[in-house]
Amino acid sequence: MPTMTGMVTIVQETRFQLTDERGVSHLFLLGHHSMAEPDQLVPLQHAQARVRVRYIQPRNIIGMVAKSIEVDD
Amino acid sequence: MDMHARLQDYTQSSLDRVIPNESELTCGSLIVPGRSYGFFTDTTVCIGCKACEVACKEWNNLPADNIGLTGQSYDNTGALSANTWRHVNFIEKTGDVGPGGLGSGFEAEGRGGGCGGGCGGSGGKNSSGEGGVRDNNQQAFQSGWLMMSDVCKHCHNPPCMEACPTGALFKTEFDTVVVQQDICNGCGYCVPACPFGVVDVSLIDGKVHKCTLCYDRLKGGLEPACAKACPTDSIMFGEVDDLVARARARVAKLHELGVESAYLYGAPDEPGATGGLEYLNAFFLLTDRPEIYNLPVAPTRASRRVLPGLLSGFAAIAGLAAAAALLLGASSAPARAAR
Amino acid sequence: MSITYKAPKLGAEDPAETPRDATERAMPHPDGWTGATYYGRQQLKPAPFEASVVGGYIFLAGVSGGAMIISALADALRPAAARTTVRNARYLSLLAPVIGSPLLIWDLHSPQRFYNMMRIAKARSPMSIGTWILTAFTGLAGASVAGEALAALRPGWRSWLLPLARVAHVPAAVAGAGLGTYTATLLSATSTPFWAAAPRTLATRFAASTTASGASALALLEPDRALRRRLEAISALSLAVEFGAGLIADRTYERTGVAAARDSPHGRLERIGVTGFGITLPLGLQLAGLFTDRRTTRQLGAAAAIGTLVGSCLLRISTIGIGGVSARRPDISFRFSQAENLPDKKQGAAIAEKMRALLKAKNKR
Repeated sequence: MPTMTGMVTIVQETRFQLTDERGVSHLFLLGHHSMAEPDQLVPLQHAQARVRVRYIQPRNIIGMVAKSIEVDD
Repeated sequence: MDMHARLQDYTQSSLDRVIPNESELTCGSLIVPGRSYGFFTDTTVCIGCKACEVACKEWNNLPADNIGLTGQSYDNTGALSANTWRHVNFIEKTGDVGPGGLGSGFEAEGRGGGCGGGCGGSGGKNSSGEGGVRDNNQQAFQSGWLMMSDVCKHCHNPPCMEACPTGALFKTEFDTVVVQQDICNGCGYCVPACPFGVVDVSLIDGKVHKCTLCYDRLKGGLEPACAKACPTDSIMFGEVDDLVARARARVAKLHELGVESAYLYGAPDEPGATGGLEYLNAFFLLTDRPEIYNLPVAPTRASRRVLPGLLSGFAAIAGLAAAAALLLGASSAPARAAR
Repeated sequence: MSITYKAPKLGAEDPAETPRDATERAMPHPDGWTGATYYGRQQLKPAPFEASVVGGYIFLAGVSGGAMIISALADALRPAAARTTVRNARYLSLLAPVIGSPLLIWDLHSPQRFYNMMRIAKARSPMSIGTWILTAFTGLAGASVAGEALAALRPGWRSWLLPLARVAHVPAAVAGAGLGTYTATLLSATSTPFWAAAPRTLATRFAASTTASGASALALLEPDRALRRRLEAISALSLAVEFGAGLIADRTYERTGVAAARDSPHGRLERIGVTGFGITLPLGLQLAGLFTDRRTTRQLGAAAAIGTLVGSCLLRISTIGIGGVSARRPDISFRFSQAENLPDKKQGAAIAEKMRALLKAKNKR
């Protein structure tokens, strides 16, 4: 499963934007069994935390589905 | 156009701070909790630019979906869904031909007429009478083009909210209907409850999503992204009472100008506000039958069927139980009494 | 520095809604709305329920509820003869909580949050009402079956366990009446045309199917011939009521135009599986049983009971399926949402008048 590290810059409901080291932003959707709740995303955004997201590429959507989010320290 | 006096304070092209109560400057109404807010979408000035769709996706961080072409005019969005909260309808009416022509919306009174709106169907013939030939019989001044930016109607009596068994759907302090993502368990019962086909379950995260009327923006004193982006003010945001008054004036004006088929959809006592819905906070000005815009003429409030249904069920069970008691209590087996 | 964007894979995650046939000529149903639609696209969204899963739950809820109602009556009217029936009913009451509830949770799109249903009670939401009916039934029937099972394990405790089970049995039967009927309202209190068209007759059909399936399940397990015949008679009577309510519903469906949705696989399932296999066949078998010897009568009765149970299950599955068809097809949903179908006739006439005036205005141009 591919991973991506970056900063959580926007959070809307179950969707968030991850900005990687190169400054490129990617749209993520919190997947079904991602072991994370949408209300856990907001603190990550406020803390500008660096996170590592394991994701899959869904069909027919320009965005990634996050399967797990780990705070990188 | 008269401008707000406060605009004088913000003359520089880039700002280093958020303008307090920005909505007052951009749409002329102050956002105060406790008042009713909504959209008035005047389809006669919609140019089909889809800026509202883009603004909505940008602000709400929604992904683009259904990549590809539908072949249905310029509408490649398709429908409102969990990832699409504004959807611009494109209706190409080819001439005011007889029954079956695309311009036959009102002519198709009741059950008669043809199947227009590009669905082909029983009619769908152009004025030359031959299939496959491009119709040149267009209405004057491109008035055969209908475009409409569809959105969640934020009903006054929202069936989705009434159906929700978890209380995830609620009415905000701005009288709008929003799904609380941390509560929704994806039962999907609000989906068939909605008479407009707006609410949708996302199969990616298993929750229901729909237009929030930019709840977060309203709390920050900003007008919703779609209304702010609309270049022709087809989408107007404001207090519902104020919008209804403006909409009624606009209909009168259009009638005066000769567009006598203009009417409101979803305002009190108008089509779309029927069956106990009372009125829709997001309402529309249309110029053809609602079906052409994929809207029902007379939607109903689903919760009105709860009591009749439950009472009939209990009455039937009570009647059958009474009959069963008679059968069980009878001194000899009734069915075999003859033998 | 190069940035590479991965191109998304094309192809629908959910199948894209397209016009209904390959030539893009979507023919409206002659009984439906034949006026203009928006490219034949669906106007409503169908319920994201799995027909066989939710239909299966409604069936199990019906069997459990129906068995508890009928056994409570049998217990009250002939306590001595009904001992087996009461015991069987208590075990049957486990179907809804033990198999039905997991089915419901499985059908949620976020099953891990099922308990959010318990944070609120809403009189306007049939699903919320149903949650609490199912909870009450689970508790009451659970108490009753616990007493029964414990009495079977410890015969010495029977003297006080069985009366205790009986105390829980009566309110469980009342909850069972709710459990067997609320499911019709769950469907009809939506905007799905086929469900919304006839809320009263749908509730009657589901209620009759509930008592029919409960009585049939008990009859199938009943050794006592006299009681079995009575249970079969209850089942036959319920089927007759279900059939009669169906006839009334048919007229409403035709008047409102939603009958067109029966031109579908689920519609055929309803016609063959429910009306044919689930009502006509059991009634015929029971009738035939009146003229045969005892052994054949018993076999015919058992076949009738199985037919009734299958038909009861198919009634719920096909109703959900036909509802989906009616929501997906704009010709059906637009025909149903015409002003003439409004329950408030005055309002319907006013809206219809408004639309006629607009037609006049347009023709004048």
